[in-house]
Amino acid sequence: MDASQFHFIVIDDSFFDCRIAEKVIQNVGNPASVKVFQNAEDAIQYIRQIDDYSDGKKIILFVDIQMPLMDGFGFVQEFETLPAEVKDRYAFYFVTSSINENDIRRSVNFPSVRRFLNKPLTVNVVRDLLETV
Amino acid sequence: MSGKIKVLYIDDEVNNLHSFRAAFRVDYQVYTANSSEEAAAQLNANPEIAVIISDQRMPNMTGVEFFEEIRATHPSPVRMLITGYTDVEAVIDAINRGQIFRYIKKPWSEIDIRSAIEEGYSYYLTSSLLTEKNKELQKAYNELDKFAYSVTHDLRSPILSVLGAINIAKQTDDISEIKEMVGLMEKAMQKLDDFIHNIHDYYNMRRGELEIRDVNFDNLAAQLKDMFELVGKTNNVEFIINKDVQSAFRSDETSLLIILNNLLSNAFKYQKKNIAHKFVHVDISVKDNTAVITVADNGIGIHENYLDYIFDMFYRATSEEFGSGFGLYNVKDALNRLNGDIKVTSKKDEGTSFIVTIQGK
Repeated sequence: MDASQFHFIVIDDSFFDCRIAEKVIQNVGNPASVKVFQNAEDAIQYIRQIDDYSDGKKIILFVDIQMPLMDGFGFVQEFETLPAEVKDRYAFYFVTSSINENDIRRSVNFPSVRRFLNKPLTVNVVRDLLETV
Repeated sequence: MSGKIKVLYIDDEVNNLHSFRAAFRVDYQVYTANSSEEAAAQLNANPEIAVIISDQRMPNMTGVEFFEEIRATHPSPVRMLITGYTDVEAVIDAINRGQIFRYIKKPWSEIDIRSAIEEGYSYYLTSSLLTEKNKELQKAYNELDKFAYSVTHDLRSPILSVLGAINIAKQTDDISEIKEMVGLMEKAMQKLDDFIHNIHDYYNMRRGELEIRDVNFDNLAAQLKDMFELVGKTNNVEFIINKDVQSAFRSDETSLLIILNNLLSNAFKYQKKNIAHKFVHVDISVKDNTAVITVADNGIGIHENYLDYIFDMFYRATSEEFGSGFGLYNVKDALNRLNGDIKVTSKKDEGTSFIVTIQGK
C-alpha cells in the first residue's frame, strides 16, 4: 500500500529525528499528512481534541521512548485511556535508540503497541510496515 | 553514637535488674526490662541500644526465643545470653537460632560482663559501619546503573540521527536535500561533542582535587566574555557582567568556571525566539569572604512544577533545544564541593535567575 493511504504523527524530542522521520515518510511517497511533535504532552492533547481525520485513513504513530517530561511510556499510558473507536484509527509504533532490554520488553507489553522499531527510521522499514498495517 | 554505650538488660527477677543497674550505670547507659514485651518496647523507644543482655529462663518466653524474635525487627544490636552451667541445650540453641554474640555464665561477675559489653560494642560499631558503607555502595551502584542507561541513550541517539540522515542523503540526487542532511549531521555531532564535554566535567569534578587559591575575578570575567560574547552578538542577546569585588576570595577557579559556564550556556540557549530586548546579566559581588553571583535572563523560563527537579542527573524540564540533563547536575555537584549554595527563581515565559552563594576557603 502506498503512503497516500495514511496520516502520520511523529513524536520525538530530538529535532533531528523528527526531521529525519518527516523526510523518510515523504520519500516513501505522498503521505496524506505528516505532523510532528517534540513534546509528548502536546501530542496527546492534540490527539484528544482533533477530529480532522474524517477521511477514514489510518493514522500511523511513531513514538520515541526516552524523552524529557512525558516519555514514551507516559504517552502510551495516556493513549490507552482513549475510547476504543479512537484508538482503532491509529497504528502505534515505538521508534527508539534504546538497546535496553527492559525498555524493549516493557514497550511491547502495551496492547496498543504494534511493534518496537529501531532508529534510524528508513524508507524500507516504513514501506514494509505499511504493507502489514 | 555518642556518649555512653547503651545496654538493655532483661531478667524476670526485679532484684537482678536492680543489681545490674547499680553495677553498670556509671559506665553505660542501662535500660532494663522484666519481660520480653517490655524489652521490645524499650528497643522501639531507644533505637540506639547497641547491646542486649538477656537471662535465659523467664516465664513466658526464653531468652533464646526472645532473641530469635527480635533478630528480625532489630537486627543491629549485639545479643548476649546469661544462663546457668546446666543449660547446654540453651547455649546450642542460642548460637543456632538466636545468633548470639556471647554466652555469659551465671552467676556473672562484673568483669565478665564488662569485657563482653566492650567487645560486643566494638563488633556492633564495625558491623553498623559496614552496613552504612554497603548502603553507600548500593546508592553509588544505582547511580551507575542510571548513568549507564542514560549515557547509552545520549551517545547513541546522535549517532543514529546521523545514520538516518546518511540514509536519506544516499537515496537522493537533490543537492539541497543533501545539504540539509549534512547540516543535521553537523548539529548531531556538535550535540555529541557537548555531551562528551559534560561527562568530562562530571568526572573532572568527581575525581579532581580542588585547587584553592585567590580567585582572579577579572580573569574569570574575561574568560566568560571570550566564551559567550560571540553567541550573544549572533543571537542579539545583551550580555553584561558587573563586578563588585571588595575583598580577596579563595576558592577553586576551575569549579567556578564550570558553574558559570553551565549557567551561562543555559541562559543563552533558552532564550525566547522573537522578542526585541533579550538579555543575560551576570552580577558578581564579593565581600567578607563570600561571593554572591547572579545569572539572570529573560528567556523561556522554567515551569514551577519542574523547579524542584532541575538539579537531578539527566532531568530535563524542556524539549526545546538539545540538552543532556547533565549541566545543572554538574553545577550542583561543584557547589557541594565548594560548600556553596544555589537558589533559582523562574517564571515560565518571563525568565530565570540563579543566585550562587559561595564561602571562601
